[in-house]
Amino acid sequence: MSATTSLKTRTPSQPFRRVGWGKIGSYAFLVVMAIIYLGPLLMLVNTSLRTTPSFMRNATALATQPNFENFAEAWEKANFPQYLLNSALYTVSATAIYVVTAVFVAFPIARGYVKRSGLLLTLFVIALFLPPALIPQFQLILRLGLYNNPVGYILLFIVNPIGIVILVNYIKTVPKELDEAAALDGCGYFRFVWSIVLPLIRPALATVIVLHAIGIWNEIILPTIYLTNSNYYPITRGLIVFQGVYGSDWPVLAAAVLMLTLPMVILFLFLQRYIVSGLTAGSVKG
Amino acid sequence: MTYHFGRGRTRWLPYLLLLPGLIAYFVVALGPSLATSVYSFTDATGLPGAPINWVGLDNYNEFLFLGQAARDNLNAVGRTLVFCFFVTTIQFGIGLLVAIVLNQKLRGRNFFRTLYFMPVILGAVIQGLIWSLFLYPLGGPLSQFLGIFGLRSEFLGAQPTEAFAWVIAIQIWANMGTTMIIFLAGLQTISEDYYEAARIDGANHWQVFANVTWPLLTPSVNTNLLLNVIGSLQAWQLFLVLLGYRNGTQVLGYLIYATGFGQTSGSMVTSFRQGYAAAASIVMFVLVLVIGLSLQYILRRREARLMG
Repeated sequence: MSATTSLKTRTPSQPFRRVGWGKIGSYAFLVVMAIIYLGPLLMLVNTSLRTTPSFMRNATALATQPNFENFAEAWEKANFPQYLLNSALYTVSATAIYVVTAVFVAFPIARGYVKRSGLLLTLFVIALFLPPALIPQFQLILRLGLYNNPVGYILLFIVNPIGIVILVNYIKTVPKELDEAAALDGCGYFRFVWSIVLPLIRPALATVIVLHAIGIWNEIILPTIYLTNSNYYPITRGLIVFQGVYGSDWPVLAAAVLMLTLPMVILFLFLQRYIVSGLTAGSVKG
Repeated sequence: MTYHFGRGRTRWLPYLLLLPGLIAYFVVALGPSLATSVYSFTDATGLPGAPINWVGLDNYNEFLFLGQAARDNLNAVGRTLVFCFFVTTIQFGIGLLVAIVLNQKLRGRNFFRTLYFMPVILGAVIQGLIWSLFLYPLGGPLSQFLGIFGLRSEFLGAQPTEAFAWVIAIQIWANMGTTMIIFLAGLQTISEDYYEAARIDGANHWQVFANVTWPLLTPSVNTNLLLNVIGSLQAWQLFLVLLGYRNGTQVLGYLIYATGFGQTSGSMVTSFRQGYAAAASIVMFVLVLVIGLSLQYILRRREARLMG
């Protein structure tokens, strides 16, 4: 801190530096917000550990004698293993197809190795501002005979324009001299992109993968439209069905929800920085 | 830029490898998106093999002008705007406040930031179910809290207006973290020197905010406003999870889905009217476009004024 600051401690002229009412007010505000964010989660955990009769008597009493049977019951009755497997299959396969194709779209655009690369990029960005594709997309899948079919469902997720933009911006930071040097050493185009560029753009790649995969995993509208056979349901759709049947049995439903929430929260702690960099990409520069 | 990886036939390799991604994009996203306007002039249904006929502007006429259904539709458009207004302004305000508070040197600020940001990863289904439980009307936590003040509420089962307000609140809870993160990123680009200079000039908290923080935060302000406005005009997943297709609560996105893909809820049964739903999609597109472009225009002018 500079001398000026210490001279002026009694005037309200050093925002956010004094320990005083400003700090106390800040903490109070953060704690109130924390209660709003933690409260619903704590209620979920508490409810999942209670028995149904005791929940009916008093919904907010603490689970003093934790009852873990709800988890076993939810796991069995909600058909979780099947739904989780479906969700994993959709997420992994669609993300893999998307990322591989996206890299080969983004690299030549970023480098100008294809003609009209600026126009191509605009073409990808423009989709964000066009009408929703919902209806014709459905007609297309229907006519291809891929309605209520896992392949048709995966097809819906192999495109994501924002990821292309993130990749293009990041690839531009990779020195172009690298291309020339590799080519002089006799490295082909495919091998260059695959084994040299790919490792270099890992941070951007991770961001794109994480954002895209979360989107697929959490999707609820498209499975409701495209999948009618419960054997194909992803976990989101399965959970809604489970709610329809067990909606009044909150302890079991809470156990089901918690079993899906906890892994996501833990995953979030590890992936947070990739999500943050994806969301703030380009936003600061404006 | 010079291409180094061979000439002749191998020069086509970048094009060839780009093709799968480009084709997928055309087939799955761009093509269908453009075809929406074409479908809006037909009587397409969602039934396989059913014939599709041109009906001109009938769908638009019906959607906007015919009878009670048109009034319901326009109400849904109005509700979409109300939803957008409240979600954007409140989320923007809280997000900015939280970001400014968290931008100080405080203990546990990483914990708070992570906590507020966390719902973003959970998705509409889990967000919705967690809140359905928290809003349990028979002695749930919030019900008891209101009880302290002698208040009662059925929350999501209450009158449409109140249920709608709860969805707004939950939407904000779920997405405030994104607004906060973008503001935090913006705040971190503001050099400490500016604050130092303002302090030396004897500026108070409010003056520092109004003359230093707020103008320098312009890029994040623009991003957040555009993201929130466009996002909330199109968001309806939480309505699906929390309320279902309930009279007096529908927003435009849900209406499109319900008319296009059939939705039964209580006494309401809609059929698979995809041409009609495509027309509704175009109405939504125009709404988003007009609001988005006007906002963009206003923000550009403001930015030009601020930056001199």
